[in-house]
Amino acid sequence: MTDILIILAIGLPWLGALAVWLVGNKRPEQQHLLAVIFAVAAGLAALLLIPSYSDAAELKIEVGSVFGDFTFVPDGLGVFLAAVATVVGSLAVIFSVDYMHGDAELGRYYALVLLFIGSMVGLVLTGSMLLLFIFWEMTALCSYALISFYNDDPKAVEGGIKALVITSLGGVGMMIGALIIYAYVGSYEISDFLADPEALPSGVLGVVAFGFLAAAAAKSAQVPFHTWLPGAMEAPSPISALIHAATMVNAGVYLLVRFYPAFEDVEGWTTAVILVGLLSGLLSALMALVAQDLKRALAYSTVSQLGYMVYAVGTGAIFASQFHLLSHAVFKALLFLSAGAVIHSVGTRDMRQMGGLGKQMPFMRNVFIVGALALAGLPILNGFWSKELVLEGGLEEGPVWAYAGMLIGAGITALYSFRMVWLVFFGEPRGTTHAHDAGQYMKLATGILAVGTFTTWLLAGVFGELLEDSLPYHHLEVETGTKIIEDVITAPATLVALGVVALGLLGWWFRKPLSGIAEALSPVGDAAANDFGFEAVNRQIVHWTKEAATALRATQTGYLNWNVVGIIGGLIAVLVILVLGA
Amino acid sequence: MNLDILLVGVLAIFGIGLYGLLITRNLIKVVVALQILVKAALLALVAAGEASNQLNLSQSIAMTVIVADTVVAVIGLALAVQVKRVLGTFDTTLLSKLRG
Amino acid sequence: MLDALLIAGTVVCAIRAIRARHLLSAALWLAGVSALTALMLYKLGAEQVAVVELSVGAGLVTVLFVFAISIAGDDGLAEREFIPNWFTVGLVGLFLLILGIMLLPLDEMDGAGSKTAMAEMLWENRTLDVLLQTVLIFSGVLCLLGLLTDSHAPAKHNIPHEANELEIEPMDERPEEMMA
Repeated sequence: MTDILIILAIGLPWLGALAVWLVGNKRPEQQHLLAVIFAVAAGLAALLLIPSYSDAAELKIEVGSVFGDFTFVPDGLGVFLAAVATVVGSLAVIFSVDYMHGDAELGRYYALVLLFIGSMVGLVLTGSMLLLFIFWEMTALCSYALISFYNDDPKAVEGGIKALVITSLGGVGMMIGALIIYAYVGSYEISDFLADPEALPSGVLGVVAFGFLAAAAAKSAQVPFHTWLPGAMEAPSPISALIHAATMVNAGVYLLVRFYPAFEDVEGWTTAVILVGLLSGLLSALMALVAQDLKRALAYSTVSQLGYMVYAVGTGAIFASQFHLLSHAVFKALLFLSAGAVIHSVGTRDMRQMGGLGKQMPFMRNVFIVGALALAGLPILNGFWSKELVLEGGLEEGPVWAYAGMLIGAGITALYSFRMVWLVFFGEPRGTTHAHDAGQYMKLATGILAVGTFTTWLLAGVFGELLEDSLPYHHLEVETGTKIIEDVITAPATLVALGVVALGLLGWWFRKPLSGIAEALSPVGDAAANDFGFEAVNRQIVHWTKEAATALRATQTGYLNWNVVGIIGGLIAVLVILVLGA
Repeated sequence: MNLDILLVGVLAIFGIGLYGLLITRNLIKVVVALQILVKAALLALVAAGEASNQLNLSQSIAMTVIVADTVVAVIGLALAVQVKRVLGTFDTTLLSKLRG
Repeated sequence: MLDALLIAGTVVCAIRAIRARHLLSAALWLAGVSALTALMLYKLGAEQVAVVELSVGAGLVTVLFVFAISIAGDDGLAEREFIPNWFTVGLVGLFLLILGIMLLPLDEMDGAGSKTAMAEMLWENRTLDVLLQTVLIFSGVLCLLGLLTDSHAPAKHNIPHEANELEIEPMDERPEEMMA
């Protein structure tokens, strides 16, 4: 039964992609319907999979002895993320029924979205490193195709290519690590590697560990590889919600969590992870504070929250990290979808031209406020519980300077969330277009997510139990749900964090009197607006690559005979290596 | 059949094929040279099968190689004919730049 | 003795094929190489492959060459030395030297020595190969159709007398050239 559910969870979206493509663009109503049906069916399959979790490979496809078996292991980590991917995916598809209404190329859109959902489920459920890489690259491909969906807009195409290049380079790093592991352990199975990480000599293990960290940082848009995520905001908003907030960017954190038992003893690795998380969390919070584009601010916010998750992994609080992943997926998808509704009606992404939309779009204002409060970390909402757990774990196990940084980050988070809400929905209307409230499907999707924001923290106990039972190498000890809640409420760290959040909120409310401080800090603000120089580094690298390519063009003479000389020369080199090595 | 002499011969044929690839200016001669290379490879394959007593396995693989090489020759010739029709020449030195 | 003759004959045919001035002569010398290779394969003990090689290499491919050359025209280009001769001969010689050092002498390799019949080996053990061959042939045909159909459209109104001209004229000239 479990193996059928796994096949359904991965295969239904792929079937849906094929069906939507075959129906053709002349029948958009059918395309919408088919996409929603297949996405929801996949969500049901994934949800039904949760009770049947186990740590054994439930689905094994044998493809001969060269590549090992293609295994799928529905352990606690995998089934929860699969459920998140499919449920948030179906909500994004429902939202797209209104958002993409009237678009001429729905077939391409829905096919890619459904292909992506299937690949994401495959990524988190697989137990073979080879399949992990294949699904990793499939999600990168779908992400690129969807970012450049409006392919007559050069900015969209540029954003897509940037995302593809950075995440694929990370993927190559991961493949090389996986091949090194295969060379020493003799198998592509992740569980075989986790059972015996000593098979790799410590230097090699270090190389693999840092390689995986780089791959995860590239995929999850952590500093210094974060430059692709703001550029990816050219995608339609449901895509931003699904891929760049709730699922694909979590793949990097998932990778770190999955391989944590093998790498935690590598010298300097956990410190490096904490550092990456800290820098991402803090720097991108600052960048979100000064962003003028609504989606850009949300993108930086995503980078910042992912930084929290990475920081939690670094300090060993695996459960807190994954719990925050769950909460973040829900409230960030909510924020992106409601922002998408606002942008769809107003026609611009610039926050300076919005304002006072609360009266014209009451439903969206309410759900956006719910999401923003969860992001800031107000009690009762799911963001509060998970962020407190992360910070507590950091205080207990990690260095104090990192904790202080993350705490300041939490305050800045509250500050920019409130800023976003204020600039968009309150104050005097600065724009000229009259905004109409969102369509019914948009309201449905965002409403469900808002309810989720209030309730998913109740699943903490269940989630913890799943993780503890089915991840044998991680040695997790998670308490029951009620105990977690008790812990969070009574810990002193919570009060400190709440205080900082309140400071952040008040800081915006009293921004006029505090404008002196804002003036003093404006150099930092300017640096943040320029992406702290990372964007400039990107442009420089692109420039050098183009120059090198132009210089190397001289070697391509085009004459067949010289090409054959090159081939034979290469063959001679290979033969010499073989003779010497034999 | 003395396999050592055969292998020397195979190497010679292979060398002739490579030399042909290096020296030819004519697209069709390129296909000819490729065919000679593949004949040499076939001989080497079957010789290896004979030496290790697995003649049938090497024959099966040789069949696949013949099919693949014939398809290559067919498509190569079709391409050469098209090039002659559209661009007017078989000479590779004149065809060294990609034209739109 | 016969073996050495066969090998020497193949080498000579190959050299003549490469150095032929007219394309048609090259195709015919290639047919010779195929035929002698098929003979050598038979002498090695691989009868089935020898038959296939004879019919495909010396038959099908030669007909293809003749067909293509007659459609496209038989201009013999002189082999101008583009790359210096000492360089090409030296490069190929180096390659063969290293390969020879690696391969010769060919010791008796410890093979599994399976005695499965040819038919069973091809169709059961290497089924994937047969499937791939089918796919390859199919895609080759598709590719060919894609390559050659475009030119048919504009030439449609020209085909009747053009084809006749192409077939008749070269056939008159060729016998003399081939003797050269």
